[in-house]
Amino acid sequence: MAAENEIQIHADDAADARVAAQRAVDEVRRIERKYSRYREDSLLSRINASAGGVPVPIDDETRALLDYADRCWQQSGGLFDVTSGVLRRAWRLDVARVPTDAELAPLLALVGWPRVERDGAGIRLPLAGMELDFGGLGKEYAVDRALAELSACGMASALVNLAGDLAILGPQPGDVPWRVGIRHPSRPQSLAASLAVSAGAIATSGDYERFVEVDGVRHSHLLDPRTGRAARGLRSVTVQGPSCLVAGSAATIAMLHGEAEGLRWLDDLGLPCYAIGSDGRVTDSFTRPGR
Amino acid sequence: MAADRPGSALAGLLQAAVALPVLVLPMRAGAVQAGEAGAAVLSYRERGLMKVTEPVAWVRLDLDGQWEFRASGVVDIVSGASPRLVTNQSGEPVQSLTGASIRDRRVGGELGVMRRVGDVKVGLSHTRSDEDDYRSRAIGAQAAWEFDERLTTFTAGVGRAGDRVRSAENPGLDEPRRTDEYLIGVARVLSPTAVVQTSLQASRGRGWYNDPYKLTLTFPPGGGLPVLARDIRPNHRASLAWLTRYRQRFPSLAGTLQAEHRYYRDDWGIRAHALEAGWSQDLPSGWSVRPALRYATQSAASFYSPTVPQPVPAVHSSDQRLGAYGSLSPSLKVVKTLDGGLSLEASAGWYVNASRWRAGGGGTPSFETLRASYVLMGVKRDF
Repeated sequence: MAAENEIQIHADDAADARVAAQRAVDEVRRIERKYSRYREDSLLSRINASAGGVPVPIDDETRALLDYADRCWQQSGGLFDVTSGVLRRAWRLDVARVPTDAELAPLLALVGWPRVERDGAGIRLPLAGMELDFGGLGKEYAVDRALAELSACGMASALVNLAGDLAILGPQPGDVPWRVGIRHPSRPQSLAASLAVSAGAIATSGDYERFVEVDGVRHSHLLDPRTGRAARGLRSVTVQGPSCLVAGSAATIAMLHGEAEGLRWLDDLGLPCYAIGSDGRVTDSFTRPGR
Repeated sequence: MAADRPGSALAGLLQAAVALPVLVLPMRAGAVQAGEAGAAVLSYRERGLMKVTEPVAWVRLDLDGQWEFRASGVVDIVSGASPRLVTNQSGEPVQSLTGASIRDRRVGGELGVMRRVGDVKVGLSHTRSDEDDYRSRAIGAQAAWEFDERLTTFTAGVGRAGDRVRSAENPGLDEPRRTDEYLIGVARVLSPTAVVQTSLQASRGRGWYNDPYKLTLTFPPGGGLPVLARDIRPNHRASLAWLTRYRQRFPSLAGTLQAEHRYYRDDWGIRAHALEAGWSQDLPSGWSVRPALRYATQSAASFYSPTVPQPVPAVHSSDQRLGAYGSLSPSLKVVKTLDGGLSLEASAGWYVNASRWRAGGGGTPSFETLRASYVLMGVKRDF
């Protein structure tokens, strides 16, 4: 994770806080080692290396994460698909070029969550070249696990922030909320809004973090698994949820929908959110509840 | 594909999420502070004689995160200034004489409105102050730009004040004074625990600056008729003030260091430095205490002299506030924060000045040390 990560804790005993923070950091590292697609020895890489071959046995944690990915696939109408990572190969972020249909076609043939075989033996990707990618889940799950470690160590006022996806156990001393800023999608050094959060998880999905700009059109890193093209909809969605995993996948799903559909999805979801549309229009149920 | 019914998407995701070893957090967005209101009473005593009581009330409202409105009112009640005359026939200079000031009440207020547009905040303010013998009206405009994810703020402001000076002793006196002010400043968050800000304020005024109640009486050595001079100051004043503030929080000590330096110069010849250091210490149960010490030193105005020089100049004042001296001001503030955004404050401070405390020596001779003290009690509520 090459971005700014932090853990903030308020505690009566600094030594206790340090111990808790270390356990949280260790947990984040463990999850990264297990599910990172950049590591050859990670469980995820082993599953991908075995595509078209034999099933790979998985533990309860991985099974539950895949069940969660399945639920996201269902709730998003197939837009949230953890096998869609292969489409990235057609989009090279360092080359400002839109891939052709011919380039995308062979990759699209490798996408399709329903095809993944999950049973008692483990997990199997039926075609060689298929890949699982926990990009939309891994970081958010790590935030939740880190916070769970802090809570298990008795911390009550803590914040875990991994590159903008964060979760908060409880307010700062004096019942003072933590201040969370939402980055502005077009002005990178600016804040679009400032939230005061006492508890809960906040996750943001936006088109400004990793994108390719071609002829003035921004193509975000969120790709539609049906077409291989960049999802075109809202510019940024921030969701507050009961866990970072839920908030993060909800924000990603909203971004994968078109703009109007995405706003409808957020409305049905019922969680506080802050969405910035392509024309800059803000839909805010955070600072103005009920609007 | 939208969810079958509102809320079912969330229920679906949540049901799958709880199968994992993660917490289900309550969701609490703290109330963003929408404003505050407060009232305080200040009691100021000078040399044990002059007493000022100043009740003040203020309110600040934050509407929608875009508009901010503030208003404040103050009433000064002054009583008991009495004239002093000290003579010394051996030839030493004497003190000046002040007519009894019948200023018994000053009523003042300020109204301000501010609007935020993206990273910029613009505001307008109006201030007024009324006494029997002095009236002031001022307007100001200010703009602030926030950069760098709100870590840096640049401020600029202009203001104009129009005053009218009268005298309770001289009904014929009714003189105007106009002052234009310009301000630029920058504030920077250095780290999660340190903030620094610095600002330059330039002021240019034209009009009546004399103190209508002040006379200087000087008895020449060896006897003879005393020389009397009224307080006559230049009809213009241009000044520059440079203020720098630094705040550093020490989380392991639960305390904050507050340091401030102010440099002042004007075209009357006054050069002054003031340095203040304070330490705000958090204590259990919502208490905090802040001891502080301020040291100031200044050089005299070019037309200041405690006695009337010979020949009598066109411009002269013996007002000690224009002299060369140093001062020390220790103070202590105690704050108790209660639930519901209520806080109570009590402060006490002492002020002592002395010509021998002027940095580098050269303090005005025959300077009468001023001792003053104040007590302030206030209450504030956030909402």
